[in-house]
Amino acid sequence: MKGHQRLRWERALDSEAIWPLMAGFGALYLAFFVGYPVIYNLIMSVQQVTLGNISTVFRPFVGLDNYRKLVDDPLFATVFQNTLIFVTGNVALQFLGGLALALFFQAAFPGAAFFRGMILAGWILPPLVIGAVWKWLLASDNGVINYALRGLGIVSGPIYWLSDPATSLIGVTFANVWFGVPFNMILLAAGLAGLPQDMYEAAALDGAGPVRRFFALTLPMLQPTIYALLALTTIYTMRAFDLIWTMTHGGPVDSSNIFPVWSYHLSFELFDFGGGAAVSTMMLVVVFIVALIYVRSVRTERVS
Amino acid sequence: MASVTMRGVRKDYGPLNILRDIDLDVADQEFITLVGPSGCGKSTLLRMIAGLETISGGDISIGSDRVNDMPPMHRDVAMVFQSYALYPHMTVAGNISFGLRLRRVVAEKIAVAVASAAAVLNLGQLLERRPGQLSGGQRQRVAMGRAMVRNPRLFLFDEPLSNLDAKLRVQMRAEIKALHRRLGSTSIYVTHDQVEAMTMADRIIVMNQGCIEQQGTPETLYDRPASLFVAGFIGSPSMNLIPGTLQNGRLVLADGATLPFPASAAQEGQAVTLGIRPEHIRPQPGGLAADVVDVEPTGVDTLILCRFSGVQVIASVRDRFRALPGTPIALAFDEDKLHAFDTATGKTLRQ
Repeated sequence: MKGHQRLRWERALDSEAIWPLMAGFGALYLAFFVGYPVIYNLIMSVQQVTLGNISTVFRPFVGLDNYRKLVDDPLFATVFQNTLIFVTGNVALQFLGGLALALFFQAAFPGAAFFRGMILAGWILPPLVIGAVWKWLLASDNGVINYALRGLGIVSGPIYWLSDPATSLIGVTFANVWFGVPFNMILLAAGLAGLPQDMYEAAALDGAGPVRRFFALTLPMLQPTIYALLALTTIYTMRAFDLIWTMTHGGPVDSSNIFPVWSYHLSFELFDFGGGAAVSTMMLVVVFIVALIYVRSVRTERVS
Repeated sequence: MASVTMRGVRKDYGPLNILRDIDLDVADQEFITLVGPSGCGKSTLLRMIAGLETISGGDISIGSDRVNDMPPMHRDVAMVFQSYALYPHMTVAGNISFGLRLRRVVAEKIAVAVASAAAVLNLGQLLERRPGQLSGGQRQRVAMGRAMVRNPRLFLFDEPLSNLDAKLRVQMRAEIKALHRRLGSTSIYVTHDQVEAMTMADRIIVMNQGCIEQQGTPETLYDRPASLFVAGFIGSPSMNLIPGTLQNGRLVLADGATLPFPASAAQEGQAVTLGIRPEHIRPQPGGLAADVVDVEPTGVDTLILCRFSGVQVIASVRDRFRALPGTPIALAFDEDKLHAFDTATGKTLRQ
């Protein structure tokens, strides 16, 4: 009897008629954990939200006032520029660093697997910890980086990395690049591992040296991986918050302030919840477009 | 065009000795096949000539150049891989012309070379396709075209036909031979298929466990195998090998039955093995008494599996033959076609 029942269960799970149940669970999950916060955030961005009415949903409708206020804010240009520099700097450096490391670890030398594992360790640390560590590394008086630069005779006095508006963005960018490089390395290493080895042997016999093989074979063959990776890194970097919050709070004088930091600052320090929600919504649109490019590139990868 | 010379070539993977003391000369314009069971080192040897494997000891020269430390790109050899190893992101034309483009050959010359290769290999319609859109046979021809256009001094083939179906294999075999006749380029062809080795080569090198077992023309290897290994490897179905003891000029089997044995260097009482090809055994009334185990008609020949005195042999006859398993049969051996081997060393006892 029991066996018979289990058989019916398994047949039900195997049957195609079960799809509404499967799709239902998926839809419910997405609606609750993704749809609800996104829509709630969208609603907040067109309302006047104060500490007084935060607990109700029906708040005064202000149209696009929150957005208008943001764009008119003199800070907008600064934050926009910072975000642009932070994101492009991160995407470019993380990709180049990841590619260099992936190619480096492709060579089978003693301990390669161990060292690759050590590099990955950076990626599994919480950004909060990474921020704290880099804060110490970049400390102006007793930081290792200033010590090394001075020891090598590159600079004479200490660089006030995180407390000087001229260098704070560079400081947080470095830390975030360090954080993101392992992820780039893994994806590129996986892409490299998928390339047929005999193709390289054929190219060597055809007369292609290592540099030529890289540009004629590796790069074009990795193209789908590279597109997907650039999109993913862009998305991840546009969400960077905790690392910068730990290191600089977006300062000094907003020199390392980027959109996620600004959004947090507006919502939870100035209690301008509508403004914070509006920043989030604008970011969401940009991330959504990049995500769309990512999905498209993944789809072509599967086809080719 | 060039000759290839190998002197004392060795390959070690750590303590593992893959190839030992290979001495081999390939004459200019010669077509040789390296044949042997898997793991005998034939592909490794080919890859060492190409420069894809390092040489642990000895010297390899192509023409007058010692190439031991020369990177593959400077050796001016072309190789056709078992997996074809085409560039998946390039068109057929791109694949064929890659080597020429690297050498900065002018565009008009490349176009001519690609067009003529495509004509020879019947690829004209496919030049704009990518490897993923081609069948196995077509990919194989693209790989051939890529090797051809460069006009290298040496062609290397690493089991290029083993991924093709039987019919296509026979066809490509003929095409490769025709190509060699036309271009006259020195070719070294690796295969585990002794039929391929026999049909294509000017000279066959039989390899076994990292050593050259015997080399010679296909006929030499077939008619005068130097060892039990070559006797068993060359020919299909393979040579019947019957072990026993030599007494009074005859082979004595375990149960006391005797078989004829050729004049040889064997001593009285020595453990020897008699070799006889299936086509040299025939049913003949009054001959050796045996039982039919099975009959396998192949169309051209009929193979008769027989058993006597605990020994199983295969006879191959031209005429149609039918018999149920267990039927008694009388066999006769062609006594001038017998081979004698030393059972202990495996070497021939031919005088």
